[in-house]
Amino acid sequence: MNFREREVKITYLREAILCIAVGTAVGLAVYGFFLHFNIAIFGWNLGLIFAPLGAGYAETALANRIIGENIGAISAFILFIDTTFYSFILKNPTLGVNVLTFGSIAVILQAAFPTLINYILVVGGLGTLSYFLGIFKRIHTYIKNNLEYIYYKYVLKKPYEVEIETVPIFDENASNIRINNLDFYFITSTDILDRHHTNLGQFHATVIVEKDKRLIHTNPDMAERTVLNKLKQAKDDCLIELTECIKAAGGNCVVDLEIQYGLIGLGGDHFQVNAMGMGIYLN
Amino acid sequence: MILTSANTLENKEIIEYKGLVTGESLIGSNIYKDLFSGVRDVVGGRTSQYEDELRKAREVALQSMEQKAESLGANAIIGLKISYDNLGGTMGNTILVTVYGTAVKSE
Repeated sequence: MNFREREVKITYLREAILCIAVGTAVGLAVYGFFLHFNIAIFGWNLGLIFAPLGAGYAETALANRIIGENIGAISAFILFIDTTFYSFILKNPTLGVNVLTFGSIAVILQAAFPTLINYILVVGGLGTLSYFLGIFKRIHTYIKNNLEYIYYKYVLKKPYEVEIETVPIFDENASNIRINNLDFYFITSTDILDRHHTNLGQFHATVIVEKDKRLIHTNPDMAERTVLNKLKQAKDDCLIELTECIKAAGGNCVVDLEIQYGLIGLGGDHFQVNAMGMGIYLN
Repeated sequence: MILTSANTLENKEIIEYKGLVTGESLIGSNIYKDLFSGVRDVVGGRTSQYEDELRKAREVALQSMEQKAESLGANAIIGLKISYDNLGGTMGNTILVTVYGTAVKSE
């Protein structure tokens, strides 16, 4: 880059900054005007619209005259950030960030980077929406059910049975009795060490259960109970496994028992239940 | 029902160990609640609604545990452990609350 080119570039930058500064000043003046006379609809100050608009307009008009091209209404951004900060965060902190603010940010960004933002809006927005509403899941279920119905009716020639989601049954009291009738002591404290015992060392048992892979549940409440019952069952299995380990080593008690729950696997698609403790033989 | 995380009951002799008692409860993922708790986290306020949910879940788990201890004929629980585990969910908001301890009979 030679001296001449640099000179031109610096001049351009200087002019652009001037245009942005003037635009920002105009925008602030407009916002001040709207605030001073409190021009609002339903308590929503119109300055929030007209200040960035005025800033952008002033900047663009000035830039067209001085530089001869559009420089992208940067002052509108600045004004937008200013007004949002002033009205939603400084003046009315309880309102905070809400749908309106996000909507306005989206609109302003959309004006600046149309292609990118439209892409995000379409792919991200519609994707998220359809994920939460479960539209595709429903369409899929509808088609699947109908195809199955046709298959049963015309190919297998027997009545179609609809699969009904059920929660795996788990009886809390039965589980409690089963765990405590194993002829084995489960102690979560370390108090029992005062008695006469033989230490057998640390024992560990792990049970891994698969997580429900469906993204959308027609009945979230039921899905929740299913998960909980699955985990309770896994915990029982894990304790029984630990018992078997310690019994095999000649123990009859576990001290300082610890039960941990966690997620493992790619994307956390499995539940892991760990039970660990010191195996001892109590005389 | 006396609940303690310690090894012993102070001033009371443990007569008999009754066994292991556990209680679990789950805070499920609620789309709207998740979204709004996320928004409030952005602003930096305390998510009291979420704290309430957690407290409720803990109470459910403790109650279930106490009821089991009673059915075993215990009147205290020692070595109590409470843990909160994140099980993923929509925005990492599926939380499992587990409590467990040793049911004992004291004098």
